[in-house]
Amino acid sequence: MRLYDYILSPSCYRVRLMAALAGIKLDLRAVDFHPGAEHRGPELLALNPAGTIPILTDGDLVLTQSTAILTYIAASHAPEWLGDDSPAMRAQVGQWLAFAQRLTDSAGAARLHDMLQMPGDIVALRRSATRTLRELEAAISAVRRRGGIFLVGDRPTIADIACFPYVALAPDGGLPLDAYPSIRLWMRAIRGLPGFVEMPGIHRLHELLPEPGPQPDVIRKERA
Amino acid sequence: MNWTPAALSQDIPSGSAAPGQLGDKDIVIWRSASGRIAAWSDRCPHRGMRLSHGFVRGEFLSCIYHGWRYGDGGQCHRIPAHPELTPPDAIKVPVFAVTESDGVVWVAQKDAEPEAPPPGLAGFSPLRTLRLSARPETVAAAFGGTGLDLRGELGGCAVVVLIQPLPDDQCNLHALAANGADTATLDRVSAALEALRRQAETAEEIAA
Repeated sequence: MRLYDYILSPSCYRVRLMAALAGIKLDLRAVDFHPGAEHRGPELLALNPAGTIPILTDGDLVLTQSTAILTYIAASHAPEWLGDDSPAMRAQVGQWLAFAQRLTDSAGAARLHDMLQMPGDIVALRRSATRTLRELEAAISAVRRRGGIFLVGDRPTIADIACFPYVALAPDGGLPLDAYPSIRLWMRAIRGLPGFVEMPGIHRLHELLPEPGPQPDVIRKERA
Repeated sequence: MNWTPAALSQDIPSGSAAPGQLGDKDIVIWRSASGRIAAWSDRCPHRGMRLSHGFVRGEFLSCIYHGWRYGDGGQCHRIPAHPELTPPDAIKVPVFAVTESDGVVWVAQKDAEPEAPPPGLAGFSPLRTLRLSARPETVAAAFGGTGLDLRGELGGCAVVVLIQPLPDDQCNLHALAANGADTATLDRVSAALEALRRQAETAEEIAA
């Protein structure tokens, strides 16, 4: 599978994260999204007329929507990430994938405005993002009341991976996450998943790593 | 000064740190592996990074930037770039008074610790915290009460709503619901809190 990728794109990170969690290796092809606007150049427009990234190719298959790519990676390599087959769960996963697009269009657009000077009504974008984050906070608090932490069912699914990047990077768009305790704990659970990978601005849980460097008791022993 | 409700205990599990506020001061509220709660200034004395971005190992909170590690009383215990150095006593994070009761984390200025304990909340369990863009009096009016400790009914359930005033005409609502309420009831209370927030924010916008 080849991913046309941009390191700072949360949508591309969705795919990299899902692949890492599913334990598969992607053939990464870096795209000069900014400032080169390579995604609007002839080679990539031939692949994806919409002029967006990520693009995933696998043989003849070309996928250009990150949430569809998540579905493809999970279905082909890690079906447990799709949730179970029950009608309710299938629909819930689909609903969260659509919700993830609302995050992209609000918090993601606010971030592009602030970081890459993309045009947009920043006040309206932040207002819309706040509404979306509040919905997510309420939903996760309801899940926590039932003893869970992930959006659908009792394990992480592509629903979580679709929503996670734009939420975690919302502060880049002037949207602090201080006011969302359940979102914070949900992000903690995702950041602690085995196989989790980082992107600039999103780090893993440091406390899960061994402490680096010599410890004071070791130094004392060496000196003795 | 009284104790200020700053968070719900359930939102700060052992081994984690969270941002909070006391008035206009940014604080980090964190809980050690053994369950000890602490409230400190949210600023690493080294380079000013927010300690709430940091991480907890055992009984210590470390800054995410250069790993400076702080323990009991805010004292710096370790500077990873100088592992042989015993950090001087002067490298210390300012600490706040903190107490935990009935599932609520209460904070106060260290030198002005209130004599009276926080209000009793027996019979109630923490539900959730919501941030809203409205002044405390607007929220109280929308609830049909006054002050910062609102008691009444929401979604058909007895509730306590603690208002934590914040700068810039914002506040936090720390909501508790009657013990033993079932999940469906708690969902209704949560929805009623969302409605209360919409009502207060709309009233605030009209007033502005």
